[in-house]
Amino acid sequence: MELGLNNEEKTFFNLDPRTKIFLLVILSFMVFNDVPFYISGILVLIPFLCLLFSNHKKTAIIYFVLYLIAKYIQIYLLPSSTGIIAIILITVSYTASRMLPILLMGYYTISTTKVSEFIASMERSNVPKDITIPFSVIFRYIPSVYEEIKAITNAMKMRGFGLTLKSLKNPLKMVEFYMVPILISAVKTSDELSAASLTRGLSSPKKRTHLVKVKFMLLDYILIAIAIVGFLVYAFYFIGGH
Amino acid sequence: MINIDNISFSYNDEANLENINLKIEKGEVILLCGESGCGKTTLTRFLNGLIPNFFDGKRDGEVYLNYDAISEMPIYEIAEHMGSVFQNPKTQFFNVDTTSELVFGCENLGIDEDEIKKRLNLVVSDFNLENLLDKNIFKLSGGEKQKIACASVSAVFPEVLVLDEPSSNLDSESSWHFEEIVKKWKEQGKTVIIAEHKLFFLPNVVDRVIYLKDGKISNKWAIDEFKGLDHRNLGLRQLNLENLKVKRNDYYSKDNEFFELKDFNFKYGKKHALKIDNIKIPKNEIIAIIGRNGAGKSTFANCLCGLKRSCNGELIYDGKSFNRKDRLKSTYMVMQDVNHQLFSESVIDEVLLSMDEEDIDFAEEILSNLNLIHLKDAHPMALSGGEKQRVAIASAIASGKEILIFDEPTSGLDLKNMMKVSENLRYLQSIGVSSFIITHDYELIMETCSHIIHIEEGRIIDNYKMDEEKLKEFFLRN
Repeated sequence: MELGLNNEEKTFFNLDPRTKIFLLVILSFMVFNDVPFYISGILVLIPFLCLLFSNHKKTAIIYFVLYLIAKYIQIYLLPSSTGIIAIILITVSYTASRMLPILLMGYYTISTTKVSEFIASMERSNVPKDITIPFSVIFRYIPSVYEEIKAITNAMKMRGFGLTLKSLKNPLKMVEFYMVPILISAVKTSDELSAASLTRGLSSPKKRTHLVKVKFMLLDYILIAIAIVGFLVYAFYFIGGH
Repeated sequence: MINIDNISFSYNDEANLENINLKIEKGEVILLCGESGCGKTTLTRFLNGLIPNFFDGKRDGEVYLNYDAISEMPIYEIAEHMGSVFQNPKTQFFNVDTTSELVFGCENLGIDEDEIKKRLNLVVSDFNLENLLDKNIFKLSGGEKQKIACASVSAVFPEVLVLDEPSSNLDSESSWHFEEIVKKWKEQGKTVIIAEHKLFFLPNVVDRVIYLKDGKISNKWAIDEFKGLDHRNLGLRQLNLENLKVKRNDYYSKDNEFFELKDFNFKYGKKHALKIDNIKIPKNEIIAIIGRNGAGKSTFANCLCGLKRSCNGELIYDGKSFNRKDRLKSTYMVMQDVNHQLFSESVIDEVLLSMDEEDIDFAEEILSNLNLIHLKDAHPMALSGGEKQRVAIASAIASGKEILIFDEPTSGLDLKNMMKVSENLRYLQSIGVSSFIITHDYELIMETCSHIIHIEEGRIIDNYKMDEEKLKEFFLRN
């Protein structure tokens, strides 16, 4: 799985950044509660479809298979297992089935949204710059972090303390090894990035213009409708007292 | 056009600039040079308004752009007149895709959309960017990134361009392209101010040279005068690479021992990113790995270190064969960004971390050989770039690595610091370590290396003992 834009091929499947964020928020509710498969299914399919139609076919299929495995474990294996195995199965399957859709939706949002599209759509909704700019930096910064993690992992491997089962005995040490270089470079990157953006007029009070056009299309409405229906079914399931 | 009127700047009571006076005419191309820390970057920050808008410090004096005081202009207004390109191609992009980046400045200034489209088309044809549109910037090479950076400041149509070490991450070919870009700006009547260490691509485009020393202007020359000077005496990199002479005509080691590399293959998708069937490389030498940006030098280095899982291959020396996992143990790469490989809270801990059995005496011995002993309790992240690099080397020695690979160890370094790197390499050689250096730095190769590996398109197209003529053909063609 590789982060990054794949805009070289234009597809018909092009969502407005606001739609993507809306879907992400709706999906985030799934963490809170567990519902039967026939109800969560609608929401689970959203990231799958998004990824499938936007040049991330492989990721989409891996995600779907993993999800089905997790569900299979929950429904068929859990009732017949006990002890330590049950604990492991519960942890793995529930983390996977609850977190995967959100993670994948996040991946889809980050990897298919251009920074400029995000800013344009936020400004169309009259979100003030003070909010838009910091959030847009997230889109810019995630690929950097990805590159850094790769470099640090390589450095650790060469020093003989790479990410192995043995090293996981001391997880805090691992976290430290990753976090210190990442934080140091985050400070440097943010400094240099702000300086560069300032010299290019980012702080100008004039109204920004946008070359990219963002607009709600039929597809956006369809997906939002699906998400709302999915969410309502999900909500009624609880209110209705199961 | 630009009048620098007696400016001084100090940062934490340390004077960075003192009483700088300079008048720059419209259409001039000015080179600011001098050793690291001479104040050239600080001077560029005065010009593009980052001082006082972004960097704080005690300042005095004023820079005038067409009679307007720059320090009184808001930075977004300065942005309309001054375009800035910075040293690090990774951190000057706000966008992730190239096209948005090209128009980013124009959008910020609220320029009309149709006009932006026109300008986009203009810079695309000016800078030959047809192939780079709608690409992920993270996947571009350093040269391509820098080209995008130049084109995107150009699109704002600034009168002045301020460039702070723009070429430090570029290979020689991209540096020559950079010369073309500056020429283009010059033709368009723009004023260009370049702060640089690497000089070889500049003599045909610069008009005047300003030499800074300890924060003061120590000399000003017209370019023709400057060409005749002894640049080494001034602590500068070579202006004319033809003047450099090979220092290592013969191999250091007389043992005639070899590394043999067999079947190093690596694929990205279906494309062969590396394909080496069988080559022999002399042992205990300092070997330069050259080739264009994107030729596969880094892939080669990664495979040699055993970092690419799918690239197995065999490395044979001392009568032993090393597979991927063995190589992870016997090789070490000193990365371009050393920050990624320092993990401990003090220099001595960093060295001890690499040892199987902690041996403080040995660790201290390594540190004193590398001139680090006085820093043994310092935090690695608080050190200078050169010191960090030496700590990384120390930790490699401590873990008994026999092969060290350096990824661009001298990018952005002045003469003095480059010579220090060269010294470290020789020290490593004297204790029996073989070094491979991925580099675009002709001066470093002439100074240090005795063997060259030339990689293009994932294949080793040449593997030879130091040969000035061959090397020149690669670096000096143009």
